[in-house]
Amino acid sequence: MSRSLWKTLLALVAAVAVLALGACGGDDDESSDQGGTPAQSAGGGNVTEKLFAGTAAENRANPTKGGKKGGTFTILSAGDVDYMDPGKTYYSYAIGVQQAINRGLYGYLPGDTSKPVADLAEGDPEIAEDGKTVTVKIKKGATFSKPVSREITSKDFKYAIERAFTSNVSNGYAGIYFRDLVGAPKEPGKYKEIPGIETPDDNTIVFKLTKGTGAALAGALSMPISVPVPKEFAQKYDKESPSTYGEGHAVYSGPYMVESDASGKATGYVAGKSIHLIRNPDYKNVDDFRPAYFDEIKILAGNEDNSVATRRILSGESMGTGDIEPPASQLKRLLQSNKPELSAVPGGGWRMIALNTSIPPFDDINVRKAVIAGFNRNAARQQRGGEALGPIAQHFIPPGMAGFDESNGINGWADQEDWMANPAGDRKLSAEYFKKAGMASGKYEGDAQLLIVGDGAEPDKSVSQITEQQLNEMGFKTKLRLVERSTMFTKFCGVPKEKVNVCPSVGWLQDFADPQTMIDPTFNGDNILQVGNNNWPQLNVPAVNEKINQSKLVVDPAERAKAWADANHAVVDQAPAIPYMWDYQAIIASPNVRGVQNGYSTWWDLNFSSLR
Amino acid sequence: MTRYIVRRLLGMVLLLILVSAVTFLIFNVFPSADPALLRAGRQPTAESIARIREDLGLDRALPVQFGDYIYNVFVHQDFGRSYINNTNVLDQIRQNLPATISLTIGGVLIWMFFGLSVGIISAVKHRTVFDRATIGLSLVAISAPVYWLGLVALYLFAPDFGVFGLGFLGGQGSYTPFSNDPVKWLQSLVLPWCVLATAFAAVYARLLRGSLLDVLNEDYIRTARAKGLSERRVILRHGVRSAITPVVTILGLDIGILLGGAILTETVFNIPGIGRLAYDAILRGDLPIVQGTVLFGAFFIIIMNLIVDILYAFLDPRVRY
Repeated sequence: MSRSLWKTLLALVAAVAVLALGACGGDDDESSDQGGTPAQSAGGGNVTEKLFAGTAAENRANPTKGGKKGGTFTILSAGDVDYMDPGKTYYSYAIGVQQAINRGLYGYLPGDTSKPVADLAEGDPEIAEDGKTVTVKIKKGATFSKPVSREITSKDFKYAIERAFTSNVSNGYAGIYFRDLVGAPKEPGKYKEIPGIETPDDNTIVFKLTKGTGAALAGALSMPISVPVPKEFAQKYDKESPSTYGEGHAVYSGPYMVESDASGKATGYVAGKSIHLIRNPDYKNVDDFRPAYFDEIKILAGNEDNSVATRRILSGESMGTGDIEPPASQLKRLLQSNKPELSAVPGGGWRMIALNTSIPPFDDINVRKAVIAGFNRNAARQQRGGEALGPIAQHFIPPGMAGFDESNGINGWADQEDWMANPAGDRKLSAEYFKKAGMASGKYEGDAQLLIVGDGAEPDKSVSQITEQQLNEMGFKTKLRLVERSTMFTKFCGVPKEKVNVCPSVGWLQDFADPQTMIDPTFNGDNILQVGNNNWPQLNVPAVNEKINQSKLVVDPAERAKAWADANHAVVDQAPAIPYMWDYQAIIASPNVRGVQNGYSTWWDLNFSSLR
Repeated sequence: MTRYIVRRLLGMVLLLILVSAVTFLIFNVFPSADPALLRAGRQPTAESIARIREDLGLDRALPVQFGDYIYNVFVHQDFGRSYINNTNVLDQIRQNLPATISLTIGGVLIWMFFGLSVGIISAVKHRTVFDRATIGLSLVAISAPVYWLGLVALYLFAPDFGVFGLGFLGGQGSYTPFSNDPVKWLQSLVLPWCVLATAFAAVYARLLRGSLLDVLNEDYIRTARAKGLSERRVILRHGVRSAITPVVTILGLDIGILLGGAILTETVFNIPGIGRLAYDAILRGDLPIVQGTVLFGAFFIIIMNLIVDILYAFLDPRVRY
């Protein structure tokens, strides 16, 4: 080969190397994501909120300003809703659809997730002082769509909740928040009336409970379980196993409905593919907060590649993201170039690396504190998109929820709990805690091999690998097992007998705006289940359990927030896990869309968003 | 011939049972999601899990579950219901099959046209610039992963965001069934067809070129030329007819595999076909759907193999059954 050819080749290789290095260094998230307390890292306050200042997130403050009627909105999503039946719907993406096609007793305005507002209820629920009775007055005049076409009454809400207890509907949370109703079934079975739900007249529903847990029940009335269901229409479909109400036939009470035929068959819903919403011609705007601007909404599944979907949305018209987020790697650029199209809200949840407190070595609180103190939480968060997708979590009540401010907000108790003080990791402090645990070297000295089970898909895979690496640096021997996500939960992390030491891919989202939904299932020792367990650290400290159980009984909102903050503090004191992120949900819409993100469902509010 | 076909069809049933057993074992022996727990919500009671397990028939012994499944499939054509959304598996497959068939047929036509043309010309113009260029390019085409090629095609030509957006093409997620709108159907499939056909065309071109080069050195080709037949007739009638046998073999397998689902192409272009159905089901641990799509895939492969074997008899007079 001639010398000039060699030179040319070398120049090409050098150019490629420079380009590659440039590409690797293009994202400077890492450098801005190091060290200090969460507040210090961004000059104080919530770093994510600051990054999203000036984006469509601000439309939430005044959601109807500039809204225009008309047009078709197309949502690009990766997957389908979990269910179309309001009695089964659980996950936030499906809740966003339910908010458009149905009215429940309570709902959430886009800009305020701290407290639900009355929807078909006339006002706030009246909770008796002992928490054992909850009374809700219902608005008059709202109707069901065809073929039922009659006024909605209290009996329709009663049936909606009763059917949720049947094995054919098998609601995922009725047994949690409604289980204390007088006469509520202890296990799913055939339909039966629940004596604890009374309907003294068409516009009043009364819930009678055996325990003082009325506050949680009242909060859960903001979930789709409180969407009215007409018994005379639905019971035919509820007799099928499982019920086909919603996915097959249904009637609607909201401003939109799934395109349906005369029999009420939802022809506009194709499982796994698409949902076609049209205006509900029988909808009566009875004191509804929904402006419902769009004429038509199309939801299209199968858009797994969020990079392609983002491009389509930004270069197209009248589109928005559904259950997908713009790629984390592009967020920083989008925050520069597409602020009006971008929005983010707290996702109402946290992510953590759970340490199994029930078996060695993490049954020793000093070992747990040592690991948390020495762990670089910034590195874990970076894998999920860094500060643009959420601040470092310091405790277990997320931003925007009652009890967050009472938990000292973004900083938590970092000033009192030194092991939580430095999200970049403090190996000196870590060594001190290892010494307190009897390990003179300042590192873990045991021989046991830790079993780490994580989600094999990115970004959780990287978080798991980072976890393993940092644990190794602290002296632990580890075995990392990466599996499919649902397998991780149903066969490993959710099954105590599997004795998994570390679960690095777990997180939790609110059911509704109440801290009980964040703390009780995840840290109350009374809720440790042999399968389907969500108390992944298997924390079972009687004093903590007692604090949690007492907080459930507090009715007054302000006292309740304080009680849950105290319970939250008690949990953090036990160092059961490495919380590393309060998730924010970022979404994007086309330039001609005035997007309004709903803080509860966390995606575009189909009732408040509009075309420009 | 009839006896041969009957024997093969009986063998097919056994093979399908075997394939089904392997799929069933994979889901039940290796760690995979518990469908009862997936359905039970976030904080399930032991009772609700037990009830769901009973409803899904998961409380029975594994051999009983498998026996029932096979009986229902072969006797009642009942492939069961999705663990996740309770939809009928056969209905789901029927709904998704037209998209996969559309993708496959168009792709096959394109790759056969280009693959065979390039293969024949390369063999005839052996060691010319055309031959070297096309064979070199075919290596590039084979090396390019379909998902990458699909994304590049979208970034370049998608009508909504492509750098050189071609307005007459459909973009990602634009698939329209032929029965709804034939023009939109065509527009939505042009890019996926081309992407799907690229690697296949390259493989077929190289395969036919190699095979044809061997055949063109055979004595009977020399004899044909000596008889004064035109070069066109020698190449097409005598050369290609013999050389195409390995191509037909691989074509049968490829069509069978694609009818079982072109997972990557369907996923990149968001085409609601069998591949996407299988992909989503695998992600959600939805065994009945996975088993249904695997059975259909195996069925197509076996049927296409049978068709290929029958075609041999017509292509090669020496083959007898």
